[in-house]
Amino acid sequence: MPDIIFQSTKHFWPEITLALTFIAAMIFEFATKKRTTGTGILVLLGLAAALVQLPSAPSEPVSIFGGMYAIDPFSTFFKYVIIVTGMVVVLFSFQSQELKKESGHTGEYYCFIAAVTFGMVLMTGSSNLVMIYLSIELVSITSYILAGFSKSLRRSSEAALKYVIFGALSSGIMLYGMSLIFGLTGTLDLSGIRTALASGHAVTTGWSFAALMAAIVLMLAGFGYKVSVVPFHFWTPDVYEGAPITITAFLAVASKAAVFAVMIRFFYVAFFDNMLASTGVYSSFRNVDWSMILAVLSVLTMTLGNFVAIWQDNLKRMLAYSSIAHAGYMLMGVVVMSNFGLSAIMLYFVMYFFMNLGAFYVVMVIADKIGSENIDDYRGFGKRAPIISVGLSIFLISLTGLPPTAGFVGKLFLFSSVMASQFIWLAIVGVLNSVVSLYYYARVLKNMYLREAPDGDESPIVFSKVTSAVVILFIIPNILLCFFYQPVLTFAQRSIAILLPGL
Amino acid sequence: MTFETILFYVLALAGIVSALLVITRRNPMHAALFLIVNFVALAGIYLTLHAQFVAITQVLVYAGAIMVLVLFVIMLLNLQNEQDLFEKRSWRSYSGPILSLLLLALLLRTVAFVSGGSFDRISPESERIGTVANIGQQLFTAFVFPFEMASLLLLAAMVGAVILAKKRFP
Amino acid sequence: MIPISHYLILSAVMFTIGCAGVLTRRNAIIIFMCIELMLNSVNLTFVAFSAYLGDSAGQIIVFFVMAVAAAEAAVGLAIVLALFRNKKSVDINDVNILKW
Repeated sequence: MPDIIFQSTKHFWPEITLALTFIAAMIFEFATKKRTTGTGILVLLGLAAALVQLPSAPSEPVSIFGGMYAIDPFSTFFKYVIIVTGMVVVLFSFQSQELKKESGHTGEYYCFIAAVTFGMVLMTGSSNLVMIYLSIELVSITSYILAGFSKSLRRSSEAALKYVIFGALSSGIMLYGMSLIFGLTGTLDLSGIRTALASGHAVTTGWSFAALMAAIVLMLAGFGYKVSVVPFHFWTPDVYEGAPITITAFLAVASKAAVFAVMIRFFYVAFFDNMLASTGVYSSFRNVDWSMILAVLSVLTMTLGNFVAIWQDNLKRMLAYSSIAHAGYMLMGVVVMSNFGLSAIMLYFVMYFFMNLGAFYVVMVIADKIGSENIDDYRGFGKRAPIISVGLSIFLISLTGLPPTAGFVGKLFLFSSVMASQFIWLAIVGVLNSVVSLYYYARVLKNMYLREAPDGDESPIVFSKVTSAVVILFIIPNILLCFFYQPVLTFAQRSIAILLPGL
Repeated sequence: MTFETILFYVLALAGIVSALLVITRRNPMHAALFLIVNFVALAGIYLTLHAQFVAITQVLVYAGAIMVLVLFVIMLLNLQNEQDLFEKRSWRSYSGPILSLLLLALLLRTVAFVSGGSFDRISPESERIGTVANIGQQLFTAFVFPFEMASLLLLAAMVGAVILAKKRFP
Repeated sequence: MIPISHYLILSAVMFTIGCAGVLTRRNAIIIFMCIELMLNSVNLTFVAFSAYLGDSAGQIIVFFVMAVAAAEAAVGLAIVLALFRNKKSVDINDVNILKW
């Protein structure tokens, strides 16, 4: 056993770095009270140190720690997205006024960002039900803490309470699904589950079929809650609106990426039939059409997200509903589960990273300036703060998926992957939904450019040079990736290798 | 009927009754005490399955640690009874029971017919696997990785709980 | 000999009772207790399967569930405390700044 641990450790350095960053940041925070930016810089360096170790990950899938954890190109891709998001969120936090008001506490805040990043990275590679449960809970518990971080703001505590109650409920439901899977197959290991199901002796009698169905439904409910799939989405708007905006951005991008990674790994490794991999159809247990069930969930999610977003007046809350809709789009790639679909999801996450973080950044700096996230208060911004307004417009157009922005390419590949697997109606629903989303994004643009400020105030709102520079830094990839997406696509296509038993 | 069988059904009844009492008592203190009864009944049921280690940790961790924390918070906040538990009807008081009944139907449909193969009787192995020695050995060999990750989770949760519960900074 | 289905039915019934409690009760602390109830009944399923299958993995995961339950309870109760300081109530119907 000890040699297995030592051999495994050499592939595990990025994760070890993150764990050490968390602990070191905490010790640093306790040792040097008040110097809170110091902790932030330490966490930033730790994340960067983990990031630079990622390229040396083995290009072939490896199973380490006795099958508990998988290192494969698939998880490495998601680790890039998660760690870079973590670094960007730390940088945003340096600037956030909302956090500065919470005097004295921001040091611990950075420690938890390290912990939650570590948990998410752990999620992408978990290949055992114990590890899936533990890593999801590590992320959930630290997210509850971060969502309730601005304690003096009542809405932050309330968001945290709602988050913790429904989060714990969903973990309980998911755990029940895991227990049924354990009873059916006698193992907690994902590849063991696959072997047991493939050998057929696990699914022979009537009850075991019912148990398998129930287990999948319960697991799906648990994962669906974490990525806010309708009908498990009800916590998302409240938590996203109530949490500090840096955390909202983090949850919307990195948390979603991590859960998609673990969900894809779970279904792909345990239930997906190897023989059918080229056509991309779920192994249907006695003709239950899983891709149809997922397709219906995906349609419900994007439709509800987009339609409810129309009625929102708070931009942060509107972005929450828009992130529900985006979960629906990404679920389309899980529906087909083909290699094309997987690479489309991964490409979409890169695009989503740039457009969503950009949009949240603009909402954050504007809220810090005018103290409001209300869309009506954005009137006349086009003249008063031109760079910020252009930035927000481009991010919102990108979220809609119109050319010439990154979002267009993301949606294009996602929809064509669905079409390639004969789900043409699903792609049409997706396109129609994008049209609906144009309506509410355009409302923000209309307020900024076509309407005057309420009191006729046309004095420019001055943002610091750093703010403008960050906005421009986010505009550039949003435009460039529309034309030069090829490297990202190639990288995504090379990264679809998921660890499977017998490899 | 062996002693074990009788013990199981008595404890199962105690478990269900105490669980029902937990969700119907207005006074949070009473609910907490019935929850402890439920935990102890479950510990007894674990013993009928020869799971000694789980039974002991059940009493130590759940009844001993978690419930002490809950009782402490209830007393600290000095909560009043939930007065209008059955009077004020909201959508929650209707949808909750209906959803739960649906869930119960799904779960019972699933588990009520489990039988056949190794499910006909308790494995003779169970005498050995439930011991502290075996669980400890498993935890530090095959499951040492999740064990270490669990320690990080507990560290994060501990620091987080302290920060959230601490009095607001000046 | 007790058939395994009796253990599993007991666990399913207790799981549903806990779930009903979460969905109907309004006191946040009682809701946390109901969640503990749900996690406990899942533990019973794991232990029952573990004993009948003769596989210790089911009892190991129970150990981890207990650790996580303790952590979750601590964080959840800390959030309740923080909220109570702000508004002197743990009734989740009073949590209404944010709409459903």
